Amino acid sequence: MQRQVALHGAGNFSFTEITDMQHPNLTRSVGEAPVRPPRAISPTARAWFFLTPSMLFLAVLIAASLLVLRMSVGTKGAEWTGFSLASYAQLLEPYYLKSLLLTLRLALISAVIAVVLAIPVAYTMSRLQSPLVRRIFLAAVLLPLLVNLLLQSYGWLVILGPAGMLNKALLGLGLIKRPIMMLYNQNGVLMGLVQTAFPLAVLPIASAMRGVSRSFEEAAATLGASRLQVFRQVVLPMSMPGIITGATLVFAYNASSFVVPLLLGGRRVPMLAVMVHDQIAPLMNWPAASAAGVVLIVTTLIIMTLSEYLSGRRRRMLEASQ
Amino acid sequence: MSSPLKGLIRFQPTLPGDTGRFAGILSGFILLLAVMPILTMIVMSFSGASNLDFPPSSYSLQWYQAAWKTFVSPDSSDVLSLGQALGTSLLVSCLTMVLATLIAVPAAYALTRCEFRGKAVALQLMSLPLVFPMVVLGLAMLLVFDSLPFHLTTSRLVIAHVILALPFVVKNCTAAMLSIGTEVEEAAQMLGASPMRAIIDVVVPLMKSGILAGMLLAFIVSFNEFTVTYFLYTIDVMTVPIWMYSRTVSSLDPTVFSFAVLIVLIDFVLIWALEKLVGEGGVSF
Repeated sequence: MQRQVALHGAGNFSFTEITDMQHPNLTRSVGEAPVRPPRAISPTARAWFFLTPSMLFLAVLIAASLLVLRMSVGTKGAEWTGFSLASYAQLLEPYYLKSLLLTLRLALISAVIAVVLAIPVAYTMSRLQSPLVRRIFLAAVLLPLLVNLLLQSYGWLVILGPAGMLNKALLGLGLIKRPIMMLYNQNGVLMGLVQTAFPLAVLPIASAMRGVSRSFEEAAATLGASRLQVFRQVVLPMSMPGIITGATLVFAYNASSFVVPLLLGGRRVPMLAVMVHDQIAPLMNWPAASAAGVVLIVTTLIIMTLSEYLSGRRRRMLEASQ
Repeated sequence: MSSPLKGLIRFQPTLPGDTGRFAGILSGFILLLAVMPILTMIVMSFSGASNLDFPPSSYSLQWYQAAWKTFVSPDSSDVLSLGQALGTSLLVSCLTMVLATLIAVPAAYALTRCEFRGKAVALQLMSLPLVFPMVVLGLAMLLVFDSLPFHLTTSRLVIAHVILALPFVVKNCTAAMLSIGTEVEEAAQMLGASPMRAIIDVVVPLMKSGILAGMLLAFIVSFNEFTVTYFLYTIDVMTVPIWMYSRTVSSLDPTVFSFAVLIVLIDFVLIWALEKLVGEGGVSF
């Protein structure tokens, strides 16, 4: 039948021929689908098979942290065989204790400042309509997070220097008579810490605020709440889990911050991470460095657990109330 | 009042849920402060003076010329030329990008599509590098690699960077995979594809934008990484950030600002491309 159509040519075959024509096979038979043998491997084994390559890398990380733990109870000279708690005892000396307290204080203050600054930015970002403005905002948030910390610290050196931008501005405004010293002390380091960790506060808060539906705000406004009241009594409490996460991330990030205190603080602001490196590079005291490292890990773990507990409770409360 | 004038003033009450003008201006100002160090550096790179006063007394391209000279004919005093450092940086970043993606895609599949014992643990482990103190990571990796019987140079940087970039890539791939329904995969399997082929031919092409975003992030993270690399570099294998630091450790040399502008430019282009993928959905941080 098909050959007949081809002989007639494209132009002159009649309607009857088409209806007459048998429908050509659209699918070809490839035999029966093979019956797959019932899967022998359990879903758990299959999942872990997929996870194996990435777990190998994470295993390096875990093995490495265990090595640090082992090293921290070693003694100088016999790092792998000796056992003493001398390195931890050393951390209780006034100099190291002061460094630990300084680290915790700077991390805490920077977390509070970063979150306070991040809340308006995150709120604006979560409610932006125009795609271009949203992209520019996101780029401005991501740049401090992703651009090399070293380069940003160089920028801070120019801003904070004796003839730098900030001093010029303050002199111009008549707020100060002489240039004030902002480099190589805690104020300069604090500014650097807030700026470099700022995106870590904005991103979780913005995503939490995006989750707060506008209808809640509309309902509150209909019931007579002012804009400020809507923000303080509806938006803020509902995005509290994000705010807690943001504060935790900034705290953990800054407690182990290395580049900013190294460049902006010099040796005058000995934060814990800088001390870890000092113990290795000039002093070659591996156990002491490891002990300080263990303190850093423990601090981070405590803060993360606390935050998990707080934000988890908050989230359950929010879910229960809805 | 005539209508054109009314249109000109355009008084529109802000609805609840809209950002007011005050909040908008405030957040714009805060963001300007957040990128201030980067902006300052860009301005300084055009300085005509040789000190670090801001604003510079005159503008010129002298530091770019000096930077170009260092790039073309390296000082003999430098241990390593910028070209070599840049080569190492690019090699490490590209290897990190490829490796991290190759291991993150199957991991993301397991984390989204399978219910299995130990899933909570796996999820926790995946985000561990994000919160792990970088200095301790550097110290720990140094301990591991120094206790090995053989020496690794470039590859130890790659291993460290893959660990650092892994959470970002996995997160993006997971988000992309979550947006694909399981039905496409089931349909493919019903038509006779093996489970593996269904993943490779159907699921992976669908999550392309998420994978691309993860790759870009991995590259950016690796290219800009300083802290961990600072522990692991050796005298003949340096990345660009380490090279810059070793150059400025005694005094700040303004040629560094012109290199820095170049790096910021690369970062900005990559971030802008990343955001294009964010706009297409399925991407998160």
